[in-house]
Amino acid sequence: MNEQISEIYTEEFFVNMGPQHPSTHGVLRLLLKMDGEVVLDMVPHVGYLHRSMEKIAENRTYYQYIPYTDRIDYVSSMFCNQVFCMAVEKLANVPVPERAEYIRIIMVELNRIASHLIWLGTFSLDLGAITPFLYCFREREKILDLFEMVCGQRMTFNYMRVGGVSRDITPEFVPMAKEFVNYFLPRVDEYEDILTNNPIFLSRTKGVGLLDQKIAIDYGVTGPSLRGTGLKWDLRKEEPYSIYDRFKFEIPTGENSDVWDRYIVRIKEMRESAKIALQALERIPEGPIKTKTPAVFKPPAGEVYLRIEAPRGEMGFYIVSDGSPKPYRVKIRTGSFSNLTVLPIISRGWKIADLVAIFGSLDVVLPEVDR
Amino acid sequence: MNIIKRTFYGIYNLLKGMKITIKYFFKPAITLQYPKERWTMPERSRGMVGLLSDPETGKLNCTACLICMRNCPVRAIQITQTKDEAGKRVPDEFVIEAGLCIYCGICEESCPFSAIKMIPKYEFSTFDKKKLTHKKERLAEIGKGSKYNKWS
Amino acid sequence: MLELGQLLENIYLWGESLFTQWGIPLFWLELLGMLIVAVIILAFISLSVLFMVWWERKVSGHMQSRFGPMRTGWHGWLQTIIDAIKLILKEDTTPESADKSGFLIAPIIVFVSAFMAYICIPFGKGLIVKDLNIGILYILAITTFTVIGLLTAGWCSNNKFSVLGGFRSAAQIISYEVPLTLSILGVVILSQTLSMQSIVNSQKHIWEWYIFRQPVGFLIYIVAAIAEINRVPFDIPEAEQELVAGFNIEYSGMKFAMFFFAEFANLFLVSAIATTLFLGGWNGPLLPSWIWFFIKSFFLVFVIMWFKWTFPRLRVDQLMGFAWKFLLPLAFANLILTGLLA
Repeated sequence: MNEQISEIYTEEFFVNMGPQHPSTHGVLRLLLKMDGEVVLDMVPHVGYLHRSMEKIAENRTYYQYIPYTDRIDYVSSMFCNQVFCMAVEKLANVPVPERAEYIRIIMVELNRIASHLIWLGTFSLDLGAITPFLYCFREREKILDLFEMVCGQRMTFNYMRVGGVSRDITPEFVPMAKEFVNYFLPRVDEYEDILTNNPIFLSRTKGVGLLDQKIAIDYGVTGPSLRGTGLKWDLRKEEPYSIYDRFKFEIPTGENSDVWDRYIVRIKEMRESAKIALQALERIPEGPIKTKTPAVFKPPAGEVYLRIEAPRGEMGFYIVSDGSPKPYRVKIRTGSFSNLTVLPIISRGWKIADLVAIFGSLDVVLPEVDR
Repeated sequence: MNIIKRTFYGIYNLLKGMKITIKYFFKPAITLQYPKERWTMPERSRGMVGLLSDPETGKLNCTACLICMRNCPVRAIQITQTKDEAGKRVPDEFVIEAGLCIYCGICEESCPFSAIKMIPKYEFSTFDKKKLTHKKERLAEIGKGSKYNKWS
Repeated sequence: MLELGQLLENIYLWGESLFTQWGIPLFWLELLGMLIVAVIILAFISLSVLFMVWWERKVSGHMQSRFGPMRTGWHGWLQTIIDAIKLILKEDTTPESADKSGFLIAPIIVFVSAFMAYICIPFGKGLIVKDLNIGILYILAITTFTVIGLLTAGWCSNNKFSVLGGFRSAAQIISYEVPLTLSILGVVILSQTLSMQSIVNSQKHIWEWYIFRQPVGFLIYIVAAIAEINRVPFDIPEAEQELVAGFNIEYSGMKFAMFFFAEFANLFLVSAIATTLFLGGWNGPLLPSWIWFFIKSFFLVFVIMWFKWTFPRLRVDQLMGFAWKFLLPLAFANLILTGLLA
């Protein structure tokens, strides 16, 4: 039988899953070599969204650059703000007051929930279940309302500053945020009801897109994709930055490192983030929210690399300063860029429909890839 | 037997999913019908830039110190200085390119004279790109009636 | 009360007396009658498709915590008409290297096969265009013509993606025909007849409805029917999130509207057949028979829409595996059990 099949003349052909496509979350061009339905090889072409963030940094002061960091990954803006401010604080040895640290943690964990909600909505939309997308955005509206109440914007916040945060939280923020977290936890159960044990969803995602742990580590995959392979690696526990060592939370991992495991890891992470936010909301101390920095801020000459656990992996900033108000060189390391490099390897041998599911589970956001 | 158990388990989970959708079918919808109903913006909301004036005299608070122009990350503000009748420095031209502005609020945060503020108004779309260049009078009109809140 | 069947019968008798009075052969009356009935059925299909498109958008909206269309008329009831006008006004392009005659005929075949199956649907007591004594067999045979239309559409567009989409769609429809037919055979064994009105007449009381005597058959029928009309969770041929949009990529304007129209006409057809076979057709107390028929059919349409907005979609090989490895043995088991116990 196999000899008969191999005698039939088949041809491999190239298909361009072009920059404009509903499933490639952004402008990504994938060149696929296919044999029938099966993907044999793939080359991603990136750069359609390159905005030269790193070059612009050489011409802006540290204070002026913070709105630009928002736009590196506009879905999780608070993280980008936080890593930049923390890197500059480490470079210039600026202490951060307690209240500012607590506020940063609350904002950042709420933003993690919002980012994972976008991922969940678009992932289920790619697989054909259209309704969870709308439910996730309904929850996200509440988070964005909280953010707008404090800092004035819903997406690119420009909230954190070197030495603290820019505005204090309003008195209504704490009860509203607690109410949101208590409203949100049953909603995660609802999303699990629709998707997790659904036989159609299981047959699309279980056993698909297996990522070997060694390959993941070799290629620099971080974040929930790495935790889905079974490795318990989270920078909030390995190298605790800010005040994460004061909160109790778990690190979920997966067992089989397939698409379903990565999905479960993120769902559990949403619950953990809600728990961290609740713990932080209980114990915000009073105090100043920002240490005073000079008007013309000149950090000492030197270099610093600092990394945090962003929703998509590890985000790091490498800043070289020469003592002037503007940085000499800024290099941004984003999680999506490294996660994208592993896509050709884990999608070999799978069909196109699986490719959509695998790409969705890696949670790649193109502005992070192209900067 | 295993396949029968799996079949019933599968059907039970499908029905659980369907229960969630029908639950939201009977709940009221949460969206706003935009042109007829509008959301009240929070007071810190960063909308269009406006210039604040003194409520009694009606003159702008701005003294053309050029701090906001230097701090704007995208150079959307253009100011030229002049002196008024009393000899104080006031802006002669104050132009903001609303198409360039990224609504970051750095100008508001760095102004020492409570003269510039982000007003929570957002309906400024237009068919003519030249209308997106806001001059001093338009900016004063946008900022009329607002009070400055110092960022704490 | 408002028994339309009796009304139409009376109109026919009055026409017959008129024609014999004037000396015109009755052949012309038959022809005129057939034309009028065809126009009525076409109008009915158009109105129900209009209603169902609006209903689908409202249902999907409310299931997703939003309103559906709201601006065109009260709660958007004019939306479908305006969409249809928009589609008519769109430019009707034909690719240059496409096979022109095939390209034109494909949507017509798809629509005609759905339309012709309405001949045997019993809308009420006495309200059936022609109660063929092989009613259900005729419907199954006619709805298979859709495959020819889809294959023609895929091939004649001269586009490798639409060929892929057309072939997949054809394979899906042909595979799901088998469990569909087997589940219907269970009902036929119990009712001892193929004619649609006789099947309805044998379900006069609610405890006689075949859904209680053939629950597995009902489930198999619903699943296979959703696969036949290419809806989620079986809508690989027209999914946008997959690589391409299947066989109707190159179609725009009125031809695209024809495919869309045929899909919704098929949706109502499938619910109508399920009502007739399993839910007792037009039987019911108090209200006129055709109102009962519509209530039951539209309830099933709602359930099929509910499936669409809840479930993800199956991959194409899983779809085929599901038909051949799961539904087919189940349908056979159901048939054997029915044959043994009946």
